[in-house]
Amino acid sequence: MFSALGINLAWLITQLIGFIVLFVILHKLLYKPILRMMDQRSARIRESLETAERVRTEAQSSREEMQQQIEAARAEGRQLVAEARDVADRFREEETAKAKAEIESEKARAEQNIQRERDAAIEDLRREFAGLAITAAERVVRRSLDEESHRKLIADVMEEAASAARKN
Amino acid sequence: MSKLFKSPKALVILTLALGAFVLSVAGGALGKEFNGGFLGAPIAHIQLPAEPVFADELFPGFKLTNTIVATWLTIVLVAVLAFLATRRMTEVPTGLQNMFEALIEFFSNLAASIAGPENGRRFLPLTLTIFIFIVTSNWLGILPGFGTIGRIETAEEVIHHAEDAGTDLAGVNLQVFDGDGAVGILSLGSIRTEEITAKRFKEAEEEGVHLVEDGKQVGILVPFLRSANTDVNTTLAIAIVAMFMVHFWAFRSLGIAGHVGKFLNFRGGPVALFVGLLEIIGEFARLISFTFRLFGNIFAGEVLLIAMAFLLPLIGIIPFLGLELFVGMIQAFIFSILTLVFAALASTGHDTEHH
Repeated sequence: MFSALGINLAWLITQLIGFIVLFVILHKLLYKPILRMMDQRSARIRESLETAERVRTEAQSSREEMQQQIEAARAEGRQLVAEARDVADRFREEETAKAKAEIESEKARAEQNIQRERDAAIEDLRREFAGLAITAAERVVRRSLDEESHRKLIADVMEEAASAARKN
Repeated sequence: MSKLFKSPKALVILTLALGAFVLSVAGGALGKEFNGGFLGAPIAHIQLPAEPVFADELFPGFKLTNTIVATWLTIVLVAVLAFLATRRMTEVPTGLQNMFEALIEFFSNLAASIAGPENGRRFLPLTLTIFIFIVTSNWLGILPGFGTIGRIETAEEVIHHAEDAGTDLAGVNLQVFDGDGAVGILSLGSIRTEEITAKRFKEAEEEGVHLVEDGKQVGILVPFLRSANTDVNTTLAIAIVAMFMVHFWAFRSLGIAGHVGKFLNFRGGPVALFVGLLEIIGEFARLISFTFRLFGNIFAGEVLLIAMAFLLPLIGIIPFLGLELFVGMIQAFIFSILTLVFAALASTGHDTEHH
């Protein structure tokens, strides 16, 4: 049965040896180096992917950091502006108040001056009246009039003085 | 269609194809019946056992067969390709390195998906070797020169061997070759010479009649090369290695008791014992099916090519060459994948299946 199929122990062993030799050759020459190369490559790819991921996260975080910094700077700027505005407001108020106060005091002084001048004018007037009165009295004494003409005279003088003051 | 006929190029090609077809029909086996047959190759001498390349024994008790020559040719070719592929390896693979890497990666993924990553890596080298060897030898086997160039075994030797083996001489066809050299080629056109049965030749010789003129000789062609897997020894050798390794791995991962226990199960009662014995038969069935699936497919492919060269020379063989390329690869794939599956099955214990 075996010989009809061509099965022969010597030939079978030869083919076995051939196959095993091929196995050894391929294992040494092909599978080992190529599998090593493929493992190396996949390791490298994994590594570079990880690196890329790391770089990406780093970039992400630095971008976020930058964003935060910008945000902080912006907030700071806003605060500064607000502060400056505050200061300016306060300064303006102060200045206004100061100016107002000055004006107020100026006004008060002016009023005082006016008052004083009016007082002085009144004083002058009074002194003038006294002189007029004395003059009128001198005339009365010299002419010696009755009481009624006396009174009339004083009234005349007064009238005269008042009209003079009004004219002034 | 009308466009096709207007193009002069297409017209020339069509005419040539038609001419080749007519020539093939007239020159082939069909034309031979009408005095044609000027192109046909004869139906070569087909036999199951591989033929010895030299009539003499290479070593005492050992004749070198043409399938062994083809096997070593395959080994040398694959080794050279492997050497060239890995001689200067680059990180970005090109050429042969790329081809082998793609192949190895494909099988690596397959092995990992069938047997898991750890076992897959262990089974990979054998699986790959089986695939590479079988596909290479199958594809080599359909090259011209395989089965058509060889030494001429003279009619006397053929008759002598046939009588020794006890075969019927009427069933042995002899062919006529030009010249008296030791090397012959089965060329196109040799179909025209009448085939002579060994019986008729012997009777004629005994009567002292020469059937062929001088300068020609009668005999059979013993090819120097024959596709490695058309020899049962080759396929059986691969099958033995595959099954041996399957059981070797099974012993390693399950332990001796664990693996033997699958076949000689005394604890599970008579049914389990019987199932275990069936498993033993199953293992042998796997070995035999491995052997004869590959052998049968490739041998049948060779016969098919010979038959087509006989019936429709020139063109009849072309589609079947494509078919043989396909079959040669598919058989290699089946052999290697079955090895992988058997190894994966045998290395996972029955315990895991039951629970």
